[in-house]
Amino acid sequence: MILGRVVGEVWATRKHATLEGRKLLVIAPRYWYAPSHECGHLVAVDPVGAGIGEEVVVCVGDPARRAAAQAWGEALVNLPIEAAVMAIVDRVELAPVGERGARPLRTVGDQR
Amino acid sequence: MIAGRVIGEVWATKKAPGLVGRRLLLVSVDGEDRVMIAIDTLDAREGQAVLVAPGSGGRNVIQPGPDNRAVLCDAAIALLRDDLPEES
Repeated sequence: MILGRVVGEVWATRKHATLEGRKLLVIAPRYWYAPSHECGHLVAVDPVGAGIGEEVVVCVGDPARRAAAQAWGEALVNLPIEAAVMAIVDRVELAPVGERGARPLRTVGDQR
Repeated sequence: MIAGRVIGEVWATKKAPGLVGRRLLLVSVDGEDRVMIAIDTLDAREGQAVLVAPGSGGRNVIQPGPDNRAVLCDAAIALLRDDLPEES
């Protein structure tokens, strides 16, 4: 999973039938996470109900599809999903700098 | 397995039902700039050096066996390292 911030929403008229009426969010990761896409942003479905500007936990891969299937009551195999919002973050508690190891924490993008 | 260090914890009230009761830890990956969130079952503390099992391996940490595909987890802390010296 990764920690990210909701920076936008994607609207599409023509889409896969199982995505009809589903909210798609643009997520900017909080820290570098070796993305498969160069820009680092990703689009995730939102079974939890997050809003723009909120910090979220995003799950990538098969569990994302399962979480969406559970939330929507859809058949698992039909969902073309690779990322889902799993939680809305209340608070992040960071260890003191001395306990984080040698590397400084590198954040990605615009950190509001 | 990914070697890393626990650098923090993430608290969330509103979450997917499958994540309720799970402890989410921020882990910085050794030797890289990236940070991931892993589910913790071993009570790891901040600053603890750990190994993270990504993907389906993480699921097996939480619930062993072949019938665990419903577990919502893409990374879990598999062991707490105590044999490696501190990074300097």
